[in-house]
Amino acid sequence: MSVVETNEAAAQVPENWEPKIIAFCCHWCTYTGADLAGLNRMNYPANVRVLRIPCSGRMNPQYVIEALNKGCDGVLVCGCHPGDCHYVTGNYFARRRMMIFKRLLEYEGLEPDRFQVRWISGAEAGKFRDTVMSVVEQVRALGPLNLTREIPYFELPAVPDGEEAFDAVPEEVVPEEVSA
Amino acid sequence: MTAQDTIRARARELLESGEVASFVGWEAGRFANQTTPLIISDPADADKLVFNEYCVNTLAKYVRDLVPRGKVGLVVRGCDSRGIVRLIVDQVIKREDVYLIGVGCPGVIDRKSGEPLKKCTECRHNNPVICDEMAGDEVAKDAPADRFAEVREVELMAQPERSRYFESIYAKCIRCYACRDVCPCCTCRECFVDARRENWVGKQNNVAENRFYGLTRVMHIGDRCIECGECERVCPMDLPLMKLNRKVIQDLNDLFGEFESSMSLDEGPEPLITYDLADREEFM
Repeated sequence: MSVVETNEAAAQVPENWEPKIIAFCCHWCTYTGADLAGLNRMNYPANVRVLRIPCSGRMNPQYVIEALNKGCDGVLVCGCHPGDCHYVTGNYFARRRMMIFKRLLEYEGLEPDRFQVRWISGAEAGKFRDTVMSVVEQVRALGPLNLTREIPYFELPAVPDGEEAFDAVPEEVVPEEVSA
Repeated sequence: MTAQDTIRARARELLESGEVASFVGWEAGRFANQTTPLIISDPADADKLVFNEYCVNTLAKYVRDLVPRGKVGLVVRGCDSRGIVRLIVDQVIKREDVYLIGVGCPGVIDRKSGEPLKKCTECRHNNPVICDEMAGDEVAKDAPADRFAEVREVELMAQPERSRYFESIYAKCIRCYACRDVCPCCTCRECFVDARRENWVGKQNNVAENRFYGLTRVMHIGDRCIECGECERVCPMDLPLMKLNRKVIQDLNDLFGEFESSMSLDEGPEPLITYDLADREEFM
């Protein structure tokens, strides 16, 4: 099976498929905001799994790659609004890092909607709900992300045999004695 | 007196006077068009040192392991000297741990093809950025016009095509970690890939794990990459690793202002370990 065929097989959406989103939420703002959304009995899709991190500055780009590798279809990173960080500057660092990392993932061919970063404060329960709903809808439209699949075949250059094998050796062995 | 003679004479003097405990340079290889890095501590060995157009290896990384034995002397070209700046700024070594003999470098030649190496055709700083003395004159060389041309080439591809392109790269990677071992930015005492108990990266060789390693490597080097191109040169699978490194550098330039890492010892913090209140807001 060639690389192209595997990709097309992955693009087929299985029946009853639901997107799986992981949301990394800052403890001080977004996690509290999600809590408030629950207290207010707001409905949002159950496709999102909320994981608490101490600060968006703690967000390691490796978490995102690992989540996508291990079968998540989208990743959402949420933190306090710039200026509101509990640790004063954490989300400023996160902002720079995530801007670079998002561009790198898109460069490598990930759809932009699959990795999103949002600032949601502890009082913005409605924004949390709206964000989750829009991310789930965007990822649902994109279909499953199947990065875990094996790419079983990769074309090696043909190995020459017989007479050709000798001709194929690059001209690098120069039996020239080194002076001194 | 050629640069090679100066290097030999100075290496002997430095070792005899005890100013340096070891000296790093290149020695002639088995064939005339080949050299290997050489570490000497005996002044009598100084005549083994060579400097010619086949000195492809960058020497900065060797210093890290030699510093515990005492002061290290080494020959630096542009790429070596930026590697040394990197090690000093990362506090792996101190400035007084090294004695640098600078040489201007017109670029080195790939012994297989006889053409200039790719890393040298892209080189922007062929003269050392720091050194204690110069052996020979600085070499004038035209800097390439556009260092991000290959990045833009990939960016022009459509999304699924790009995805497939990088997948084929990661399918080839054998995770030998040569790109890490040769990189003067990768100086962690324990690399995340060696931290077996934490198990950051799995042991399987598949696209997912290779991508995890590749992306993490790029993010770890990120704003510190000195663009020496050694990772690409040592890659046994000939993967275009600089396309990834340069993408990050290009974004850093676009977003946070023109920037080139490791050009002097007293430059400000790198873009990713600092912040600006006026940074672009994309995540509101």
